[in-house]
Amino acid sequence: MPRKTFESEIQQVKDDVLVLGSMVEQAIHGSVDGLKKRDLKAAQKLIDDDLEINKKRFDIENKLMVLIATQQPMAHDLRLLASTFEIISELERMGDYAKGIANINIRMGDLPLLKPLIDIPRMAQIGADMLHRALTAFVNEDVDAAKAIPVEDDEVDALYNQIYRELMTFIIADPKTIERANWLLWVAHNLERVADRVTNICERTVFIATGEMKEIKSTDDEFWKQQKGS
Amino acid sequence: MTANNNSHEQQYVLETHNLDIYYGSFKAVTDVNMKVERNKITAIIGPSGCGKSTLLRAFNRMNELFAGTSIRGRVMFDGEDIYARDVDPVEVRYRIGMVFQKPNPFPKSIYENIAWTARIHGYKGNMNELVENSLRQAALWDEVKDKLQQSGLSLSGGQQQRLCIARAISIKPEVILMDEPASALDPIATLKIEELMQELKKNYTITIVTHNMQQAARVSDYTAMMMLSGEGERSGTVIEFDETNRIFTIPKDKRTEDYVTGRFG
Amino acid sequence: MKEKTIVQGFANNLDARNRKGVIWHVIFQASTVVGILALIALMLNVINSAFGYVAYEARVDPDSLAVDGTALEEQSKEQLVALLQSTLSSGAYNKLDNEKPFVDRSREEVFQLVVERIIRPQVVEVWNLWPSLTQPDEIRATVTKDHPETELDFVSWLTYDFVTRPQTSEPFTAGVRTAILGSLWTILFTILLAFPIGVGAAIYLEEYASDNWLNRIIQTNINNLAGVPSIVYGILGLAIFVRTLEPLTSGEVFGLVDPTTANGRTVLSAGLTLGLLVLPIIIINAQEAIRAVPRSLRNASFGVGATKWQTVWSHVLPNALPGILTGTILAVSRAIGETAPLVVVGASTAISFDPDSPFSKFTTLPIQIYQWTSRPQDEFQSLAAASILVLLVLLLSLNASAVLLRNRFSRRF
Repeated sequence: MPRKTFESEIQQVKDDVLVLGSMVEQAIHGSVDGLKKRDLKAAQKLIDDDLEINKKRFDIENKLMVLIATQQPMAHDLRLLASTFEIISELERMGDYAKGIANINIRMGDLPLLKPLIDIPRMAQIGADMLHRALTAFVNEDVDAAKAIPVEDDEVDALYNQIYRELMTFIIADPKTIERANWLLWVAHNLERVADRVTNICERTVFIATGEMKEIKSTDDEFWKQQKGS
Repeated sequence: MTANNNSHEQQYVLETHNLDIYYGSFKAVTDVNMKVERNKITAIIGPSGCGKSTLLRAFNRMNELFAGTSIRGRVMFDGEDIYARDVDPVEVRYRIGMVFQKPNPFPKSIYENIAWTARIHGYKGNMNELVENSLRQAALWDEVKDKLQQSGLSLSGGQQQRLCIARAISIKPEVILMDEPASALDPIATLKIEELMQELKKNYTITIVTHNMQQAARVSDYTAMMMLSGEGERSGTVIEFDETNRIFTIPKDKRTEDYVTGRFG
Repeated sequence: MKEKTIVQGFANNLDARNRKGVIWHVIFQASTVVGILALIALMLNVINSAFGYVAYEARVDPDSLAVDGTALEEQSKEQLVALLQSTLSSGAYNKLDNEKPFVDRSREEVFQLVVERIIRPQVVEVWNLWPSLTQPDEIRATVTKDHPETELDFVSWLTYDFVTRPQTSEPFTAGVRTAILGSLWTILFTILLAFPIGVGAAIYLEEYASDNWLNRIIQTNINNLAGVPSIVYGILGLAIFVRTLEPLTSGEVFGLVDPTTANGRTVLSAGLTLGLLVLPIIIINAQEAIRAVPRSLRNASFGVGATKWQTVWSHVLPNALPGILTGTILAVSRAIGETAPLVVVGASTAISFDPDSPFSKFTTLPIQIYQWTSRPQDEFQSLAAASILVLLVLLLSLNASAVLLRNRFSRRF
């Protein structure tokens, strides 16, 4: 079997990406959970753990560089390795978003939540779920699955709009809530960006298989149109 | 063969139409339709024994040195069929030069290697100038300018190959065919030859056969992928021909993909 | 070194293998030694015969021929000629003058005639080198006892004079100059005929001939001709060159007829006959040399647009030249030693005149040797031995110069 070593090394890289992905998933869930429960200790731990995510990302990057230098990847192999650079970069950014949410948790400190969190955890759930499936599609090089995921970003965008309007209502009703409302908006914003980045991962998965780099579904234009409208 | 004054109008300096090449009754190459663009480097790659060198040798009728070879189809050079009845193979080789895998300078002095070649084609001009120009174009002048009377065989492998290139270009061919020119050389000499090719393509058209994929990727503008697939898997044919960039990043044929990623066989 | 633990299925047979190797080594060495010993035996035998004591008796004492106190050896040519004239019968004297006028002869030649016709030393007994060196006293005693009137001298049959004197029937004044020159003249024509034709044929067969049944038959025939016994070539030469082409080979056509010959048994015929003999050898060797030229060289030449002729002339031939010359050397060495065919073609048995044109009568060294060995007297065996030494030296120097020539050609690039 030609290139057995190379094949197994590629498999290892994919496994590492899955590990990084699950670290990020955990961070997303953990950050929103911590916010819901006002668990500041958990938030701090999450911030510290972000270093692990960065480290893992650079680990994978080094492995990719070695593979490119030593194995002269061409065609599909080259697309795979080049896309993996992109994907782990997206994952690391998503880790940062989770860290941002944990930071806001700590910033809020003793202050109570404006309202019980329902939509925000929902956004996190959808986002993390999308991520999980996107990475599975990447590892299995499943183009159809990858193409089907980005459409779920619409739901996340809708939730974000909802949260936006709700928080606007809070601020208009009681201007003193503006700080907390802002923070919550920022949390929602981070989660919305997570879903967007998952879309990028899906586009990359399609590129690896077909060689075509196409944006699968750009609903951002729709989003900004809606924003203007409200 | 008529000298084609409007040669620059022809974008494709070499073309094959339904080219079959036979060794006796054995069909070594099947139905090749290929166009070689002027002033570009075209690489022919593929696994061993698939007919790359045979195809290359058909371009300057060097196949005829082996007894019993014949072709069907046509090979067009500047729009003229080089296998036509009234075409002299010697003249074809005057206009389509060749560099071989193992460097083969003549056992004469460096100067004579080039001078003899020019002389047999009737060159009557300033020979010193011609030798110097050819050696300069082959990036060899600085290394040998003080020892032109030494034997060509006293040079290193890489230098010998550059001498062979200088010899080939001294008679100003339009096309240079290279049959695995660097496969007998060390990596540094190989890279020098590759750089040289980039320089040469400004004035010549180069077609190179190589079994080194990375070399083809580094050096060529177009790549032809050859494989044994015609007629019972014993005859070679070109299965894909495209810009080099595409062949090595998004090839169309799965067999090409398998070959360039090393998953072949 | 620590012994390797025996792996299943393998045996520790290193000693047995080495022993076998040593045995074969010894066998090969022994073969070489046997060969060298044989050569040494040959050489010693020849040298043994070429030197030694000779007991001889002169009919006329040279001292008695001294004139006015001048010893015979110091007399001038004119004195010697006068001596001949006075001693020989007029018929004999005139015959000698007709063969070659005395005015044309050198002093050495005249002195030889004096020795041959007047002094006429008779050899009584000859000893070889080994007994001469080991038992000189016994020899002297025998001579004094059995042949008291004889002179006893240590003779080196191989001398400078031997090489430069023409042939005579007199052992003490015999020389091989005629034979050497005859050999050289003959070889000249052999090479002139065989080299161009042979190399040309080889070039044609290797470079131009296509591989069809006709050419294969020709090739087979050439190979077979190399093994044909040389006497057959002699008969061929006799029939064609001596008889059929007599006007050509005797020189009649050119008006240069040798008055004493007037037939085709000339140097030219001999050279041509030997030329035919060595032709197959030269062709085969030249073919091998041409075939050995690497294909890459031809490719390079054709690749730059050279024609077949340019490739052959400028690259293949120069490259094959050392090999071709080797073949020619082999052929020449063979030809110089050939005796039988030249006997058939008609080498003269008794000539004393150097060949001076292609149409002269001739003799060659091997023939001279053969003739001398056919004579019963011991002194002629010694002469034959001396000639063998001369022939060997000639061959060696030919080979050496040819090797030098070949080296010079192969050193240039």
